[in-house]
Amino acid sequence: MATISLEKLTKSFGSNTVVHGIDLDIADGEFVVLVGPSGCGKSTTLRMIAGLEDISAGAVRIGGEIVNDREPKQRNIAMVFQNYAIYPHLTVAQNIGFGLYTARLDKAEKQKRIEAAARTLDLEELLKRRPSQLSGGQRQRVAIGRAMVRDPVAFLFDEPLSNLDAQLRGQMRVEIKRLHQRLKSTIVYVTHDQVEAMTMADRIVVMRDGYILQVGTPTEIYESPADVFTARFIGSPAMNMLKATGSDGGLAVAGAASPVAARQAARGQMLVGVRAHDLVAGAAPQEGGLTLNGVVNTIEPLGAETLVHLTVGDTEVTATAPGKSALAVGQTISASAAPGSLYLFDAQSEKSLGRA
Amino acid sequence: MAESVSARSTGAAPTGRVGSRLTLHQRRVVWAWGFLALPILFYGWIRFYPTLYAFWLSFTDWDLMRPAQFIGLENYQRLFADPVFLKVFGNTFEYLLIGMPISLVLSFVIAYYLDRVRVLHGFIRALYFLPFLTTAAALAWVWRWFYQPVPVGVINGLLSHLHIPAQPFLRTPAQALPAITVTGIWAGLGFQIIIFMAGLRAIPATYYEAARIDGLGEWAILRKITLPLLRPTTIFLVVFSSIGFLRIFDSVFNMTHNDPGGPLNSTKPLVLLIYQTAFSSYDMGYAAAQTVVLFVILLVISLLQLFLLRDR
Repeated sequence: MATISLEKLTKSFGSNTVVHGIDLDIADGEFVVLVGPSGCGKSTTLRMIAGLEDISAGAVRIGGEIVNDREPKQRNIAMVFQNYAIYPHLTVAQNIGFGLYTARLDKAEKQKRIEAAARTLDLEELLKRRPSQLSGGQRQRVAIGRAMVRDPVAFLFDEPLSNLDAQLRGQMRVEIKRLHQRLKSTIVYVTHDQVEAMTMADRIVVMRDGYILQVGTPTEIYESPADVFTARFIGSPAMNMLKATGSDGGLAVAGAASPVAARQAARGQMLVGVRAHDLVAGAAPQEGGLTLNGVVNTIEPLGAETLVHLTVGDTEVTATAPGKSALAVGQTISASAAPGSLYLFDAQSEKSLGRA
Repeated sequence: MAESVSARSTGAAPTGRVGSRLTLHQRRVVWAWGFLALPILFYGWIRFYPTLYAFWLSFTDWDLMRPAQFIGLENYQRLFADPVFLKVFGNTFEYLLIGMPISLVLSFVIAYYLDRVRVLHGFIRALYFLPFLTTAAALAWVWRWFYQPVPVGVINGLLSHLHIPAQPFLRTPAQALPAITVTGIWAGLGFQIIIFMAGLRAIPATYYEAARIDGLGEWAILRKITLPLLRPTTIFLVVFSSIGFLRIFDSVFNMTHNDPGGPLNSTKPLVLLIYQTAFSSYDMGYAAAQTVVLFVILLVISLLQLFLLRDR
């Protein structure tokens, strides 16, 4: 196991820079998730750590040593790919054994390791099968098995669950997390799915356009997003953003019935964010809280709760209501959020101004 | 209610169109056979009927003049006692055994490296493909000219530059067949390169990346990943190229124009022998027997391909 450090790591394709000198320290045994929309540079960063992509500037350290010019093999990392990259012409056992291709072990020792990995991943029954006879989840487990047998210093996952259906994805999420708890290995995991990031990560790294926007634990990212992008990207449904003006009398939020209590610092043009789960349809307005009046335009019942899409003035707002609510489209209702549940952002820079 | 009853009765009335009386399934079957009928008739008439007729002719002594008479296996007995046929039979396999492996290895190596070339990729690929688009006869005549003695032949010209004695090439039984095989290889190369490159491109890049992370070298990747995954492409090309060399005719006929198949029958392939037996000697029955032998060889190779390509 080892630490991984990125120092001013940069990747350019010609004049097009896709990763802009990012810094990141990953502790030994940590599960770090790089998350961001497609094209944010997260996969490129992972491939630079793996050694599949040349580094344009900066450095990658694994276990304290700079590995920029080392072949992937010499870095002793393992990687799991989105399309599994397991070979159709080999059996499951041979595919897992491929990870030991260059290992100087005798046959019996290799066999023992393959069986141990298969046992960990519940693949023992399938060792003689070919990939075409396996389900998507089983294939992904074979790919993880191939990564495991070598005892690498770190695992790199490149969107490993994107090819699976929603149910299987949830299942594999738990399996990978358990695997990490058992192996206690360093994991760098790339995904565009914020649910995977929130559920699996020790620390989340939010990326956009080749920059790191924020690094923090899932709770930190969720509770104190650094900017509007992170606030809207993490959490589902996406956070509502409302225009507001701060003055001595509090925050005048567009569409709100009354001003919202805010700290003295909140002045001028800003954006107020409120999560759908904090904005409850039909709840009693609270002193200093946010209350919006709007027309219901869509209702999405989810069973435990119902998402209510409201038209408030010229903006769309998503609120929640209890599971069995008798709301109707076209109805005018009010939705309220408690004081302290709001997120404030500067209207110009879109940076966080704290909570209110 | 009344409306639906009347609608149903019209549908069943004898005045209704034929199509409306058939079920959806029956209508589909009629359409399918309608489309299939034309090619079936066409192939039946110009392919299957002549093939079967050739089988029949191989048991007769037809010579275009007199009506065909059944003579049993006499043609086949004559065939396997005929030194020219045995020589030609050997020649045919010599074309196959020299031409097929060399053309396959060569086209794979070129495709493998061309796949990595970014500069002028399309242009180079087009250059390799060009011979495939050219008329075989024209190719043969150009190569015939290449093989001439100095001062006409460029190859001998090059050899004399390098102070290597001039070679007779097409003029000697020892060198003529390999010299013609080279033309055959060159003519088919472009097609095989294109097919190999398509096969190489179809292998996902992550297979190679995963192998690099597992520490495989270039050679190990080629042996363990590229070649096994390229197996269907390779088998197809082995069969395609084998059939091509077993049927070699036009390059031989054109390159040895003064004495087709010469010198001393040393370059004569089966197809050329069939042509001469049929259209120079007018010994149709005997030619048909030779054709049947060629047919059986090609059939065996095609069946072998199906066997090797079956899904496991």
